[in-house]
Amino acid sequence: MRIRKARKEDLVSVADLLVRVKRLNNEFDPLFAVVPDVKIRANRYVATTLGSADKLLLVATEGPKVVGVIRAEMTERLFYEPHKEGFITDFYILPEYRRKALGNEMIEHASAELKTMGAQIIVADVPSRNEIANRFYVKRGFRSLTNIFGKSD
Amino acid sequence: MSPPNATKRRARQPRGHARTERTQIAVTKRLARLTEPKDDSSKKALAYSKFYGGKVGVAPNVPVRSLDDFSIWYTPGVAAVSMAIEADRDLSFEYTGRWNTVAVVTDGSRVLGLGNIGPEGALPVMEGKALIYNYLGGVNAVPLPARVNGEEELVSFVKALEPSLGGVNLEDIESPMCFDVLDRLRKDMEIPVWHDDQQGTAGVTLAALFNALELTERKLRGSRIVLFGAGAANIATERLLVESGANPKDIIVLDSKGILHPEREDIDQLLLRNRWKHDIAIRTNGDRVTGGLKEALVGADVLVAAAGQGPNLIKRDEIELMNKRAIAFFLANPVPEMLPPEARAAGAEVVATGRSDYPNQVNNSLLFPAIFRGALDVRARTITDTMVIDAARQLAAFAKKKGITRNYIIPTMVQWEVYPRVAATVGQSAVREGVARKKLSKKESFAIAMDVIEHSRKIMHALRKDGIIHDPPG
Repeated sequence: MRIRKARKEDLVSVADLLVRVKRLNNEFDPLFAVVPDVKIRANRYVATTLGSADKLLLVATEGPKVVGVIRAEMTERLFYEPHKEGFITDFYILPEYRRKALGNEMIEHASAELKTMGAQIIVADVPSRNEIANRFYVKRGFRSLTNIFGKSD
Repeated sequence: MSPPNATKRRARQPRGHARTERTQIAVTKRLARLTEPKDDSSKKALAYSKFYGGKVGVAPNVPVRSLDDFSIWYTPGVAAVSMAIEADRDLSFEYTGRWNTVAVVTDGSRVLGLGNIGPEGALPVMEGKALIYNYLGGVNAVPLPARVNGEEELVSFVKALEPSLGGVNLEDIESPMCFDVLDRLRKDMEIPVWHDDQQGTAGVTLAALFNALELTERKLRGSRIVLFGAGAANIATERLLVESGANPKDIIVLDSKGILHPEREDIDQLLLRNRWKHDIAIRTNGDRVTGGLKEALVGADVLVAAAGQGPNLIKRDEIELMNKRAIAFFLANPVPEMLPPEARAAGAEVVATGRSDYPNQVNNSLLFPAIFRGALDVRARTITDTMVIDAARQLAAFAKKKGITRNYIIPTMVQWEVYPRVAATVGQSAVREGVARKKLSKKESFAIAMDVIEHSRKIMHALRKDGIIHDPPG
């Protein structure tokens, strides 16, 4: 398995994986119900990411097949140090390819890339109830930084 | 921690007095249909159940020669027995009837083809099961449907029963809860726990399949197997098949949405809601075939359907896609997914169903009374998958000795000599696996099994002969 930067040809595969992440989040939390046109939005999302200098899109491939994706952006924290963040927005590996240390490799690879882009701290955004993601990051020495509380009537 | 969606799904209709109006209407409708039962056995079941007022009961095992005997069977004599057992708990297997007592437990959440009818509704079925255990296996089976809410309560309930039992038979519990319940209880209890819908069906299916493969000159490893239906039966069948040597890459499993494979749209849902299906989706189907039954059956050697009521759930043109000399089992009860004449016309060579009015009846009753007879006699701590596979091989071997044909691949239920043989095999298997408290020889195992089963038959004979059990009216 290889890990490399995503290219235009990967757009459809990557979008598919992102749709899967969103659906998985819905499994954990009904307040993350997925919009009906999620596929179109995912395609657009990937397209704008691919062009951007301050965004990162890495894919893991086995042969011609895209089996994992990690998307991140460079952001600035206005009031706090360290202020340059490498912000992981999406991370997904197909079930068949999990439990093979690929997740670790992808995070390491992404962190290294983000640091060359200037990141002083790596952060990842996951829904609070996604236990799989929570466990994954805690195991690698990350801790919760901010809580977004929500209420819907 | 289970995700909120799953908990929400599990909240069930409260039973009994707190019914919603919609449920009450449905129940009344069903009851109205029943007062005009369509078939003979339903009519008889209603009439006879009322006539006898219970299919099994408690009978004494010891003589009461005079009231003085109670000072032996009860106080003060019994205190000595209690103290002996207090000092060594395993003596309870020697001094009480626990060694031969099995509880038939359900929460009534998925009874036969009726669904979630609750513990009272399940009671007649559990009584029937207890009767089969007793008549065919000489086991003292006690029907115990329980009003429990959800997995935790059910597990606690069964665990609490352990001191009075030699084994537990779980029955008619909804999937996927039943998988976790069985796994947990098998792990935590020191007596055999058995879910007949899982291991029973899988075991008999395996026995029939062993012979069907041999008849059609095939080996298990290398045969392409399709399991249609991913409920209790086929999930257990897949596991036992692989443990017997089948290649998971050559097995395709389908649920109501189609073929299970690692990139199905709902694969992550499965991870959270049914990890047994998820596991199967990843391990099986090496060619990553996608689609439905048609796609799965192309080039398949074996079909085991445990999917739902027929008779036309599976079509002729689907069976025609299978390899020559195909093997097809249709296990749904009471109406198989496809009827044997159809399947044969479509080219299947060996066909089996759960029905007694067709050849090759795959009936769990061939297995569970014998498995428990064998396990109880050696005071086994559990029934391992190996014990089940060994029992299946013995069932197959018995039929083989009589001469297998496309219409005879497993013993019929009237071939009573098979029970003590399977019991002896299971006992020996338990000893080899190191789970037997009592290490009997094969000869001893066989003799004891024969003896206990005959004892049961003698009781039935005597009770009928003396008119204590009357024949039913009319």
